Amino acid sequence: MSVAGPIAETASGFGGGFLINPDLFPARRSGEAWGGREIALTLPGGPYRFSGLNADQEATVRERFGGYCEVGGPVAIDSVLFRAAEADFRTIDVRGWEYGLDLDATPEAVRLAGLRLVGRLDWRPGLSGALWTPDGGGAAFAGIFENFLRVLVAYRFHELGGAVLHCAAVASPQGARLFLGRSGAGKSTVSRLAQEHGAQVLSDDLNALRLEAGAVTVEKLPFTGDYGDPRTPAPAVPLAGLYRLEKDTADALRPLSRAEAVACLLACSPYVNADAHRRDELFSDLLRLVPPQKAWSLRFSLGGGFWPILS
Amino acid sequence: MNTDSQAAIDAATVLRPSRDIRYRRIDGEAVVVRQKAAEVLVMNEVAARLLDLADGRSSVGAWVDVLAGEYDVDRETLERDVLTFAAELAAEGMLEIADGV
Repeated sequence: MSVAGPIAETASGFGGGFLINPDLFPARRSGEAWGGREIALTLPGGPYRFSGLNADQEATVRERFGGYCEVGGPVAIDSVLFRAAEADFRTIDVRGWEYGLDLDATPEAVRLAGLRLVGRLDWRPGLSGALWTPDGGGAAFAGIFENFLRVLVAYRFHELGGAVLHCAAVASPQGARLFLGRSGAGKSTVSRLAQEHGAQVLSDDLNALRLEAGAVTVEKLPFTGDYGDPRTPAPAVPLAGLYRLEKDTADALRPLSRAEAVACLLACSPYVNADAHRRDELFSDLLRLVPPQKAWSLRFSLGGGFWPILS
Repeated sequence: MNTDSQAAIDAATVLRPSRDIRYRRIDGEAVVVRQKAAEVLVMNEVAARLLDLADGRSSVGAWVDVLAGEYDVDRETLERDVLTFAAELAAEGMLEIADGV
């Protein structure tokens, strides 16, 4: 029996860690909008339109997402921003604290609570979003907006039969390679070493997989850690391989069975993998996304010697 | 960990997959999600086969009858190995004693 990795814990006592009164969580998509501005983000699976923003929030989103921003045009996913009262949220000492959103899923909706945010995803029947926050712009708002958007995009890809994955994606002429592993497995290290070998890092944090016209492609997302450009879109790249990371003193490849590969992807599918109502569907999607003979266990050393053996 | 299940298992015991787990068979192996521990595991073909046999109706002795037709091993050895493995899976929280049996 081998452990592929942890998944996020399921919600119990939902929202209590962040909200003064979680029983008052909004039951529907309504409230007082922050303003009359709207913006569309051309992320994969989108465009994602956000309305109800004030001028500062719009400027913050433009600054953060750069080339992904547009005004007008067709929209796939519609979300609204609402005001929330400061008094609704607990004051949290974040020193030495590992932040994780609190999610609660039903077949019709997903509720989320976090630092100075509450949100809903509703299927009416298409996916739509709502975000309540007391922050009217600036750096704190940028983080709040991004945290909500990460969940929204993950569920959008699930709706499309794809998956958002916690992984590093590196593009080369052979296609994009995904490096997967739990926190500390070496995603940023591999990204740095690959970049030193001339490869382009799409993101070292979140990337997406989708099956299109019979081929599995990697979609760059604007959610990055230390490596990747979070403000510039890029076209989808064919998947060259999946690599489950294991730090070692030497470099070696071993093929993964399909079960091992699916387990690895499942452990690395944030938010949706903790959703009991959608996990069976996610299982099936991941099976379709694992191409035969393209999944490997990669033992790698800090010397960067792994890069040549990938070819 | 269900140590009661581990201690009580013999050929007459009836087991079922733990309510905490969800699993999917893939090419013989099984991908298992342990919900409380928030963990994903891969089980080999033998362990996955026992998960399938643990239907909440058949005794462990009945599993041995089925497996005797699948593996070229003497019955005594098979029964001992199956009981040991079933106890390990119960201790790991993968199997539990079926209610009302």
